[in-house]
Amino acid sequence: MARYLLTRVGQSIVTIFLSSMVVFAGMRLLPGDPAVSLAGEEATPARIAAIRAEYGLDRPVWVQYATFLRNSLHGDFGRSLRTGTPVSELIRSTLPVTLWLAAYALLISVVVGLILGVVAERFRGRWPEWGANLVAMVGLSVPSFWLGLLAILFLSVDHHVFPASGYVPMMQDPARSLYHLTLPALVLALALAAVVMRQTRASMIATMQSDYVRTARAKGLRRGRVLVRYGLRNSLIVVVTIVGLQLGGLISGAVVTESIFGLPGFGKLTLNSVFSRDYPVVQAVVLLITVGYVLINLAVDALYSVINPRIRVAGAV
Amino acid sequence: MESLGVEMSSRPVRRRLAAAGVVGLALALSACSQTQATSNKSSAEVAGKVITTIPIGSRPVQQGGTLTMGLSADPDALDPTTSSSLYTRYVMETMCQKLYDTNADGQIVPMLATALPTLSDGGKTATFPIKQGVKFADGTPLNADAVVTTLKRDLTKPDSARASELGTLKTISATGNDEVRLTFGSPFAPLAASLADRAGMVMSPTALAKEGDHFGDHPVCVGPFKFASRVPATSITVEKDPNYYDAKDVHLDKIVYKIITDPAIRATDLKSGDVQVADTISPSDVNSLRSDKALTVMQVGSYGYQGIQINIANQHGVGTPPLQIDTPLAKSAQIREALSMAIDRKQLVKTVFDGYYDPACSPIAPNSAYATAASNACPPYDPSKAKQMLEQAGVKLPLQITMQTSNIPSSLQLAQAIQAQVRAAGFDLKIEPIEYTTLLQNDSQGKFEALQLGWSGRVDPNGDTYNFLFTGSGNNYSNYSNKQVDTWLAAAAATTDTATRADLYGKAIAQVQKDNPYIYLYRNRNLTGVANKVAGVSVYPDGVVRLSGAAFVAQG
Repeated sequence: MARYLLTRVGQSIVTIFLSSMVVFAGMRLLPGDPAVSLAGEEATPARIAAIRAEYGLDRPVWVQYATFLRNSLHGDFGRSLRTGTPVSELIRSTLPVTLWLAAYALLISVVVGLILGVVAERFRGRWPEWGANLVAMVGLSVPSFWLGLLAILFLSVDHHVFPASGYVPMMQDPARSLYHLTLPALVLALALAAVVMRQTRASMIATMQSDYVRTARAKGLRRGRVLVRYGLRNSLIVVVTIVGLQLGGLISGAVVTESIFGLPGFGKLTLNSVFSRDYPVVQAVVLLITVGYVLINLAVDALYSVINPRIRVAGAV
Repeated sequence: MESLGVEMSSRPVRRRLAAAGVVGLALALSACSQTQATSNKSSAEVAGKVITTIPIGSRPVQQGGTLTMGLSADPDALDPTTSSSLYTRYVMETMCQKLYDTNADGQIVPMLATALPTLSDGGKTATFPIKQGVKFADGTPLNADAVVTTLKRDLTKPDSARASELGTLKTISATGNDEVRLTFGSPFAPLAASLADRAGMVMSPTALAKEGDHFGDHPVCVGPFKFASRVPATSITVEKDPNYYDAKDVHLDKIVYKIITDPAIRATDLKSGDVQVADTISPSDVNSLRSDKALTVMQVGSYGYQGIQINIANQHGVGTPPLQIDTPLAKSAQIREALSMAIDRKQLVKTVFDGYYDPACSPIAPNSAYATAASNACPPYDPSKAKQMLEQAGVKLPLQITMQTSNIPSSLQLAQAIQAQVRAAGFDLKIEPIEYTTLLQNDSQGKFEALQLGWSGRVDPNGDTYNFLFTGSGNNYSNYSNKQVDTWLAAAAATTDTATRADLYGKAIAQVQKDNPYIYLYRNRNLTGVANKVAGVSVYPDGVVRLSGAAFVAQG
């Protein structure tokens, strides 16, 4: 078990290191010069050169990378090229928005997905299953930006049910914060809910046909009880895996959702920084997302072994 | 029909939010029908009269309160020396007063200086007196030394965006406690205009010593308001400054600049009352805001312009010696003139901007003090003559040209309208949509045949002409070079007499309209929405929304 986890931690560190290189190189391969972008209307050759020197953009790329790596390890991500704000401050102010959004979306998708999945299994071949399948099909096939626009048009512009944009910090006013987050969270949640629904349904069908379920039914346990205590519980392992793997998808989905709903979150920060070639911000943000992704995967692996001891044993072999 | 993108394509507007703009596009889809409805009216009829100020008048003023303004872009660092975002000026207006200011007519008036510069030594020395009894927000007294510190920083900081605005400035010194003397290598007429912009914002020397390069994190200047806080990409808050010399005329407690990049959402928030002032209203939202009894839309013509750059001789980047590009468009002034004549500017602003913007054919706006008949002249729209000229030039028709443009919907819409118009004259215009930052790079490196970008405009016409048209200048992306034009522009920059300068600019523009290194198309109007419960707001042609004197008033 310990060896298994250690191997996984080692792999994770290598992954993070490699991805930091890819991001660093990728940003510099993009056309578009941050110095030109930063110089604005006063983009004279002399000023562009001065800006390059000021921010060390004129040094060899590997020197820039080494500096970035050293500073990052010390927790110093530098300052935004555009606003001069420390990157750590930018992250501090935008990350909570995205985390709340992702958590809210996760909650919605798991609750909705599980309910639909169980319903689909319970009423196989009848209209509730078709309904649940329809929701899943829509969730999987409609892109979130299109769904977001439709939601804004119908629910905000036409019927004023939810605000079209804006954000209130959770700590400041939880009720209004949730009110502002509901529409984006719903849009973000739908695709994941569809995945959760399909997985729950599939694994419920398999579980409900297994011997121990038949035994439980034969002993006279009520169907509802068997469904939840035996069927759902044993199907959860698949669901946990899927949710874990999809968390990263939630963060990348947040980039689009936040832009559409004008939420000042991590995703919007990433997008704006890429557009203005704000190297330090993009590097730090992507590094952080990578670390988060890797940690979630680690946690999922660890969680497996807790839920299903057979994995623990297999890993130790 | 949102205009966001076209404002974006003026260089200072450092925003790239294609995804966010999608919302605006979707919300604006319904507005397309308005274009059809208004397309038969003339521009002036649709747009209505110019409103630069909403005076408080005799209405009772409520002391205190927090005003929220919807700001269309996130400003860059709040540092007058390095800032290059137009929107930083909006925020600085309430907390960083300048040596001079402009008024509604575009004239320069004293602000922290008490009189216009006095020139001597044939215009090579300028002195101006500094207002006394004034304190910065941190309590430091304003004096000539503080002004010298600021100007030296503007001139020498390596990444200063102000150095080029200070012309041939050589020495800066204090002659006593309340007078500053500047000397120049050659006479520099635009001095007062430069000091009426960011170069004239005096920074507290105490704060500069303490913050150094990070002055923009906690800017300290002289102003009715002082910096309170900034939440990145979300808002900037300023609060009333008790140290301000004229504090009795400041009515609000706080102003919150809330960053709302989507024009449709700014309009919605204005209607719902979430914000009381919003800049850069999209022409497609203006009609609906104007019909709202609780709102007023202020409008004033901008000094900036939009148009098409033609790469004549920029092979190795701006600032390198002109090297003729080998395309018919680059080589033949006649073909460029034909292209200019093939564009119906009046129809263009009607169809793309609902008639709220104005056609333009020159870098000098008609509301500038330097406008003349020559600078206001426009080439006729004549597609058949344009076609004749193309045939005379001996090129095979249709002549294919490629125009790069920003990849956001409104820029594309403008490009498509141009494409449709020039087809009649025998041009086959290919549109190449490009992400904004890459577009800027292509522009300065000369990687384009034609490219659609504009300029935000300056009070002094030197700022709208010299850097773009003088041989080898920093913004001369076409690498245009005409010795005669150079002579006129240099003479105009070195002369202080308005009439003489206006005449020189008129001559230069007439020549530029023959050479067409840049085909001027239209001029924005600064459209600002204001709730009627707020007064004391002004927007002058420099585009800055002035909130220093704003107050909540009883609606009358």
